[in-house]
Order: sequence, then C-alpha cells, then structure tokens
Amino acid sequence: MITAAGRPVAVHQFLPALNPHDATGTHTLKLRDVLRQAGWRSEIFAEAVHDDLAAEAYKHWMYPEHAADSDVAVYQFTTSSAVAPYLAQQGLPLILDFHNFTSPELFAGWEPGNVMRAAQAADDLALLAPEAMLGLARSAYSERTLRHAGCRRTTVTPALADYARVTAKPDPRVAAELQARRAADGGADILFVGRVVASKAQHELVKALWTYRRLYDPAARLHLVGGTSSYAYSKALFDFVEDLGLANAVRIAGEVSDSALAAYFEQCDLFLSLSVHEGFGVPLVEAMTAGLPIVARGAGAGAVTQTVGNAALTLESGDPAYVAAALHRVCTDHTLRRTLADNGRRRAAELQGDRVGQQFVEAIAGVVGRP
Amino acid sequence: MSDAGRTGDEAPEDPGAYVQQVMAEIAEEVRLRRASGDLPPRLERELDELFLAHSPIGVRGGDLSEAIRLVDAATFIDPVVPVESERAAGAVVKKGMRTMMLWYVGWVTHQMSQSASAVSRALHIVDDHLKELERRIEAQRVPDANVVEFPTSVAPGAWWVEPALAALAKAPGRVLHAACGDGWLVRRIAESGLDAYGIDPRAPVVDAAELGALDLRDEHIAEHLRAVAAAGLGGIVLSGTVEGMAGGERTQLLAAIGTRLAPGGTLVIHSVGRGAWEAPDAPYGADLASGRPLRPDTWRGLLEESGYTAAAQQGPDGSDYLITAVRSGLTPYEQHEPGTR
Repeated sequence: MITAAGRPVAVHQFLPALNPHDATGTHTLKLRDVLRQAGWRSEIFAEAVHDDLAAEAYKHWMYPEHAADSDVAVYQFTTSSAVAPYLAQQGLPLILDFHNFTSPELFAGWEPGNVMRAAQAADDLALLAPEAMLGLARSAYSERTLRHAGCRRTTVTPALADYARVTAKPDPRVAAELQARRAADGGADILFVGRVVASKAQHELVKALWTYRRLYDPAARLHLVGGTSSYAYSKALFDFVEDLGLANAVRIAGEVSDSALAAYFEQCDLFLSLSVHEGFGVPLVEAMTAGLPIVARGAGAGAVTQTVGNAALTLESGDPAYVAAALHRVCTDHTLRRTLADNGRRRAAELQGDRVGQQFVEAIAGVVGRP
Repeated sequence: MSDAGRTGDEAPEDPGAYVQQVMAEIAEEVRLRRASGDLPPRLERELDELFLAHSPIGVRGGDLSEAIRLVDAATFIDPVVPVESERAAGAVVKKGMRTMMLWYVGWVTHQMSQSASAVSRALHIVDDHLKELERRIEAQRVPDANVVEFPTSVAPGAWWVEPALAALAKAPGRVLHAACGDGWLVRRIAESGLDAYGIDPRAPVVDAAELGALDLRDEHIAEHLRAVAAAGLGGIVLSGTVEGMAGGERTQLLAAIGTRLAPGGTLVIHSVGRGAWEAPDAPYGADLASGRPLRPDTWRGLLEESGYTAAAQQGPDGSDYLITAVRSGLTPYEQHEPGTR
C-alpha cells in the first residue's frame, strides 16, 4: 500500500523478543506509538512474544500476511535471532535500531551458549548493517559499532523508555522495609539495577561494598535489582557474598515490579554502576530521573560516560579503593550530592520526552519520506 | 580529602570544576589510605582470588588436566532419578514412574556415559601428548629474563633518578615501575605528586616492602601488562629489566607497552651498557641471561620506529644510560593489535 506520492505508509518493527519490563520491549512499544502518531501504519513482529504482550505483536513469520509493497522494516537489534536472516531474505528497505549487544568475550567462561549467541549477533550485524539505509544508535559508542559493521548512514537517538515509573507510586511495603532497616542499623543504601550477568560486574560492586564497609561505613548495604540470565555467574556471586560475610548486607532482589523499583530509587542513597558494557544504560537515566547521585565506572564501560554526561562521578576503573572513597564522598558531601542530582535531572530531561520521539520521526522520514 | 564544601548546601559556581576537584581529592584520599596501611594491596588481590575461586574453570583459566577432571566427574550419567517429594504419595508415584522407565532411560544413559567416557579417554591421550611436548620444549626453552640489578646504578642516589622524575612529571595517569625492588623509586615518584605503583617478580623483596604501605605487587612485567587496560598507564619505568632480554621477549614487551601506555605517556628505561654487563664484577645473573644490553642509540631508533619521541642520556662514568620516550600517536603495535582501542 503506498500513498499517491509513492511514499511508504507502513514502517513495521521486527525484533528477537518482545518482553514486558524490558528496555527493548518498552522502547519498541513506544516507538510503535510514535510511528502511528506520525501517520505511519506500524505493527510489531517478533521471534518470541511474551504472553502478557500477545495482543501487541505478531510472530515474525506472520509478516507476509501484513506485507505491502512499500513497507519499511525497522529492526530492533539486541542479540542474535532468526529474524535477522529472515529480514535479509525479505529484502525490505531496512533501518537498524541498534541497542548494541554484549561482546562474546564478556560471556567467555561463564555461559558457553551466550558466547555462541553473541558471536552470532556479530554475524547478524555484519549481514544487515551494509544493507541498512539508516542506523539508529543509542549512543556514540554504539554508533561506532554500527559504522564499523558497514552501516553508511547513522545517527544517535536515545532510548524511548518509561522513566516516570521510577518516581510514581513507590511500593509502601518495600519502602517501609528499607526505612526500618536503616533506622535499626544506620548505614548507606547503595543501588544497582541491571541483569545479573558478568558484563554488569555485580561482583565488583560487592568488592566495593566490602571495602567501603571496612574503611568508612560498616553498616552500608547493597541492593542488586534485576533478573539473571546466567546461573553460573549468579551462583558465583551468591557464594562470594556468603564468603565475605555480607549475606545480611547484600540484597539480591531479582526482578521487581515498577512500584518496588520506584521504592528502591526513592529510598537508596546513590546508584553505583561498575558495568563493563553498556550500550546506553536505561537504569542510569532512571537514576538521574529519580534524582539519585551516580557513581559509575566510565572507562571501558561502553556508553556510560556518554549517557550520564557530567551528571555522575565517573571513575577510571572499578578499583575498590577508589570506588569506596567515591561512595564515601558522595554519602557525606551534601554539595556534591546536590550538584550530581541537579546535573542528573537536567541530563535525564535531555534524554526523554516528546522530543526524543520526534528525533526518531525526523530520522526515519529523512530516509523514507514523510507519511 | 579537604572538608571544603562538605556540609554546605550552596551550589558551586562551576559544577564541572567542582566535580573535577572532588575527583582529585578522592584520588588523594585513596593515596593516603593506601599509605596508611588501611587497605594493603594484598587484600584487594585476595578479594579477586576469592571471587575467582567461585568462578567456572573457563574464567579461572585452569589448566587442561583440571578441565579433564571435571569432564571425568561428569562422564557417568545416573539414570536413577531421586524420588523425594513434598506432596503426599508423590514419592510413590515418582518411584513407580522411575521403575517403569528405567529400562528405557537406562539404555539411553548407558550409551551417553560410554560416549562421554570415550571423549574423556581421548582428552587424556591429548593431555599426555601435550605434557610430553611441553617437557621436550622446556628443555630447549629460552628463559624469561630475570631482574639483573647493578647495586650502584639502581639506588636512590643514582644519577638517572632526577632526569627520570623530570621526564615523568607530565605523565597522564598512573606510573608503573618494574622492577621496583623495595619500592624506593615508587616512593620517590609518589612524593613528586604522581600516582605510582611497582611490580617485581622477586616475591620476597615485594612482600617485605609491602609493610611500608606502598602499592607493590610480585608480578612479572609481561604478565602484568597483559592485565592492564589499553592506554591504562601514564608512565612506565623499566630498570634492571631489559638488559638480559632475548630479542623475542623484548619485542613482545615493547608491543605490550605500546598498547598499555596512554597517548602522551612516558616510557623511561634505565640500562647498564655492555661494558658493565661483561665486567668481571657484574652480577652472576648477567652470565645466565639469554640476551645482552642494547646500545643507547639502538633503543632510541627502536622506540622512534615504534611511535615514540625518544632521547638517550649517557651516565657520568659511561657504564649505564637512560632512555626517555614520549608516546606520540598510535604505535605500530597498536595499529596492528585488534581490539585495543
């Protein structure tokens, strides 16, 4: 189906998996709404669709039932998937919306299956990037990856995310629990949100906590929020925490509801990230939105410094002594806390709102024409 | 760490400069903490080792024999599944199912166990062959160069210390000294206001010196540089390290330095000359080494070919010399080593 001017009326999205409470899933759903509001017809096609979102998407192999001659495909690139070769076969005008993927080396030794999947993702990117008419990257860091893979036209557009969830309706039960613990024991509450996998380096957070407690704050606690896709790493992390005698100080909360997440952002003193790979870092923006000061590893951590700008204490390494000293400074220096929180809110505002959706519309219209 | 601005609520005039100042104060705080002995470097290493102990063998970098032992342990596949249950009669149902299916499951698992045993046997044969090869190669191996120190030229009062400190003054990051001995030069570099640490493969020397609260580690230079991040060092000082190196080892060391030294970083090499190396009173390590010292101009040429701006300075009695080199752009090593930028 095409307009009288010969322009496409459908910009469909394809992706490996559509999941709720997931950065890519939220981004895809929001982008669909943005595309529809701009006047394009837009559906979502995925290799796997979570039951809760069954009404929102089709399986990718059902695309031919919806196809029209002038269709444009936007591929949400997150990992290897059967969707990549499928799209290559379809020969549709292609836009890569690139969220980056964890490189195989970061899984090595932990998850052999993920090493293979990550290597396959690199192959998928090499297959699609030279064919894409446009690459949309979450950060300059990811943009470089796209260009190296052969994408000729690229631009940086932030993730579309539901940042309001971190400030709306904190779960009173979780908030009360955190408050009670602090009232009883004192000490700082340190938060990290992200999948429990080696590339997020939660074990480095534990080392930093151990050092911080030894040198500055014996009652400090660490809260790790996020599901896991690596049993081996999770088990090693649990055992490490036990061996260090930190079982009462490290809470591995797993996946939590939006309201529970809001409670963590509300009650914790700061957000600490020592991740060694971030294609963008939605939780960093969530922390900035919530006004939480951030201490983060900057060097060798992917897009972290690009995402946080000057709104965090970015460290050159995850050296526990440096991290502990930085935690201590942020926890005791009110001026610094306020400076980081103010800068964070400003930076977060730049990365969200209607203007981000408009950036996507402009970028896509720039290559396929307006609807 | 200063107390300025710690408790006040006033916003800083220049937030960017303020955060930079805070970062500098944090670095100073770390330096003081380390110097006070509150956090000995050995403790940080023990944390790393403790986590690695819980990690899979692929992360730990265990040897082939250890990996094969894991294969051996997993070779037998037990067809007799456990039948405990939390539900009433659950155990009875499970036991009944197990009895009914055991002839089938047992037949399959028996073949899988046999297959795994065959793979394990093959791995043991490969392991045996490799060990034999390693034994033969070991007999012909060119040993890594040991530290060979000439006591008069590697000491706090040596002529080259001040020029070396001057060359390092603008190092854009941490400074590494190899071989650091008891840390005498690390201390001098730290006193000049730089963040410095040392490595030395002579463990007893380092262990004794750690009591002085310096960041010193008992590691070989090549092994240590492999673990350092790309462009992670602002300066590297080599003393007593390069004289006895064989050609291949020296080339590998330069390649590693070329990727670990940040642009604008400084490389300082102190070396004795050939006369001192072959003198009758030279340390016996000089006789045992595979290589011999290069001439100063050879170092200068080698480094300039590798992307450094280098200068050589001869010692007052001609027995030793100092090379100072600043890394300019990409070194040839970095241009050819993938994934280092």
